[in-house]
Amino acid sequence: MAATVKDPERDQRPRKPKAKSRWGMDGSLLVLLGPALLLVALLFVWPFLYGIGVSLTPAPGREGIFSSYTTFFGDARERASIWNTLRLAVPATLINLLLAVPLAYRMRNPLKGQRLITVLFVVPMTLGVVLIARGMLTFLGPGGWFNKTLMTLGVIGEPLQLLNNYTGVLISLIIAEFPVMFLLLLGYASGIDPNLERAGRMLGAGAWQRFTRIMLPLMMPGIAIAAALGFMVTFAVFPSAVLVGEPAGSTRVIALAAWQAAYERFDYSMGSAIAIVMAAIELLVVAVILFARSRLYTGPASGGKG
Amino acid sequence: MAERTAKERREIATERPEPLVKRLGIRNLTKRFGDLVALNDFNLEVEGGEFISLLGPSGCGKTTALNCLSGLLEPDDGDIELDGESILNVPPERRQFGMVFQNYALFPHLSVARNVSFGLEMQRMSKEEMRDRVEEVLSLVQLEEHRDKHPAQLSGGQQQRVALARAVATRPRIILMDEPLSNLDAKLRLEMRAEFRRLHQTLGLTTVYVTHDQEEALSLSDRVVLMRGGAIQQIGSPEEAYTKPASAYAANFLGYRNLVPVQVTAVEEARARIKTGTDVELSGTLVDTLSPGDEAVAAIRPEDVGVFPQGREEPNVVSATVELVEFLGRDTELSMPNDLGSDIVARTTAGEARPGSRVSILLPPERLLIFAKED
Repeated sequence: MAATVKDPERDQRPRKPKAKSRWGMDGSLLVLLGPALLLVALLFVWPFLYGIGVSLTPAPGREGIFSSYTTFFGDARERASIWNTLRLAVPATLINLLLAVPLAYRMRNPLKGQRLITVLFVVPMTLGVVLIARGMLTFLGPGGWFNKTLMTLGVIGEPLQLLNNYTGVLISLIIAEFPVMFLLLLGYASGIDPNLERAGRMLGAGAWQRFTRIMLPLMMPGIAIAAALGFMVTFAVFPSAVLVGEPAGSTRVIALAAWQAAYERFDYSMGSAIAIVMAAIELLVVAVILFARSRLYTGPASGGKG
Repeated sequence: MAERTAKERREIATERPEPLVKRLGIRNLTKRFGDLVALNDFNLEVEGGEFISLLGPSGCGKTTALNCLSGLLEPDDGDIELDGESILNVPPERRQFGMVFQNYALFPHLSVARNVSFGLEMQRMSKEEMRDRVEEVLSLVQLEEHRDKHPAQLSGGQQQRVALARAVATRPRIILMDEPLSNLDAKLRLEMRAEFRRLHQTLGLTTVYVTHDQEEALSLSDRVVLMRGGAIQQIGSPEEAYTKPASAYAANFLGYRNLVPVQVTAVEEARARIKTGTDVELSGTLVDTLSPGDEAVAAIRPEDVGVFPQGREEPNVVSATVELVEFLGRDTELSMPNDLGSDIVARTTAGEARPGSRVSILLPPERLLIFAKED
C-alpha cells in the first residue's frame, strides 16, 4: 500500500534541524575549516601560548612571573632594541610607500614591456635577504662600484660609509620589501576603472587633482594593507641587521635581542618575553593601520555597471 | 489673474535657453589604429543647441569620433572648431565639455552630491553657489533625497541620472554621451530617453550622442548621422532617415528588415520594374539612379508589408506561407517564405495568421525602395 510504504529519505533525515550558530555557520562548514584551523592552532596558537608560558617562568636568579619583562624594560640597552627596530621599520615602510605608490599609479594601465618591468621589480623578492646583503657588500662597500663611480665623477671626496651601519640595513630593507608593496599596490591601482580618471578629466581635473582626488582615495585601502604587511616584514628584520648593519650598536634590533637572550645566554624566558613584546608591538601597529583603513572608503573601485 | 497656471509655468520652464556655443565644426577628422582606419575624413557641422546622434554598428567609428571630440583621443588628421576656433590643442580638462560614459564612471568613494559638485570644485566655485547648483541639478534629475548616498547604493537608472547631473552641473559647452542607455533594461531605457529629451529641452545643451540603437537615435535627435566604416553614410532628420534611407546599408540599419536582391528590368522616372532571382516581377520606387539590367536591392519595412487572405490578385502581390508568428502586443510579426527567394517579415495587426497559413502579401510600390547593389 502506498500509504504504508515508508519514505526512505525520511529516515535518513537528521532528527533535529541543523543548528546554525550566531555566525551563520553550520556543522559542515566547521568540518571543512577543520584542517586549516588545526594547522593554525599547531603552527601559531600553540607556539604563541607556549612562548607566553615560557616567558612567565622566571629564569634562575630572577623572581616573580613578570621578571623577564621587568628585566627587559629595566635594561636601557635591551629597551633600546625596540627603538632601533622602529627606527628602521617605519622609515623603510614609508620610503617604500613613497616609491611604490607613484610607480604603481604610473603602471596602472598596461604598458609596453610591462611584464619585463614587473619581473625586474620582483626579482629581489626571490633572492632573499642574505643574497641582497651579499650583493650590497660588493656594490656599496668603500671599494665598491658605487663609491668608485661617485669618486671618479668627483661627486664625493672619500667613500660614503653605506655598510655596517644604520644606512646599510635601511637600504637592504627597502630593497627586500619593495617588490611586495609594489605588487600589492599595482594590483589595486590596475583594478580601478580607467573611466573614472577620464570622467575626472572631462570635469576639469588636472593630472595632480585626478591623482589626489580620485586615484589616491581609491588606492588608500591597498596602501594601508601594503603598509601593514611591509611594516610586519621589516619589524622582524634579522639577517640584514647582522650582515650589513652594526649588530652591536645602532642596528641591534629586537629580533637580535631575542636571539641573543635565547641562544647566546640560553635565557629562554627572556628570549620568549622579548618575542612576545615584539608580537605585541606588531599587533598594535597593524591594529592601528587597519582601524584607520576601516574608516576609509573600501567599496568597489568602479563607477557603475561594467 | 496674475497667478500662473501650472501648465504656463511648465511652458516657461521648458523654453530653450540660448546655447553656449553657436557652432561646432568637425573637419576631415581622421584616426587610425595601426592599419585600421577608425575614422576616415569625417565632416560634421553641429548647430548650437542641436541634439545629434552618431548611429552605427560597433566598429563604425562613432565612439572614436566622440573620443576625438572629448580630447581623450588625439586625431591623426583634421580639425575640430568651436565657434570658429580650433580646440585641437585644448586638453580635455580645459575643453569644458561634459561627458556621460557607458558605465557611468561615477566616483565610487564620493556621495551623489560630491560626484555632482566635483566639476564645480575644479572650477573653484564658491561654497554657496556650489550648494545651489548641486540642489538645482539634483532636482532636475529628481535625486534630491539621494544626495548623501554613495553610487553603489543606487539602482542603475539612478546612477545614470547622477552621471547626467554630474555632466550638466558645470554648464558644459557641449555634452557628449557614449551609449549611455546600453546598460539599462528596456523599461528604464524608455524612461531615461524621455529624461534626456526633457533635459536637453530645459538646458538647451548642444549634444552629441553615440548609439547603435536606431530607435534611440530617431526618437532623441534633431539630426541622425549614420556611420559606416569610419565615414558618414547619411545625415538627416529622423523623419528623413526613417522614410528616405540613402543606401541599402542605411535602409537595413534603419529598420528596413526585408532586403531582396533583384535586377532592374525597366525604368520610368522614379518607378522601376524589377525582377527577383525567382523571376517574380515587381515595381518599386528608385532611390539610386539605375538602368535596366543593373543589379539592385529592394527594401521594405515590416510595417509597410500588407498581409491578406490568400487569393488576392493585383500587381506587387505574392503568395506566401506563414512560418513564424511572434506576438508583440498590439502587433504580430510574421516571417513568411514566399516566391521572392527570401523570407519577408511583416508587422500586422491582423491576428488571424497561424503558422502554415497561406496568405497573400502586398509590397506597395511607393514603399518598396530600390537601391544600387553594394559590395
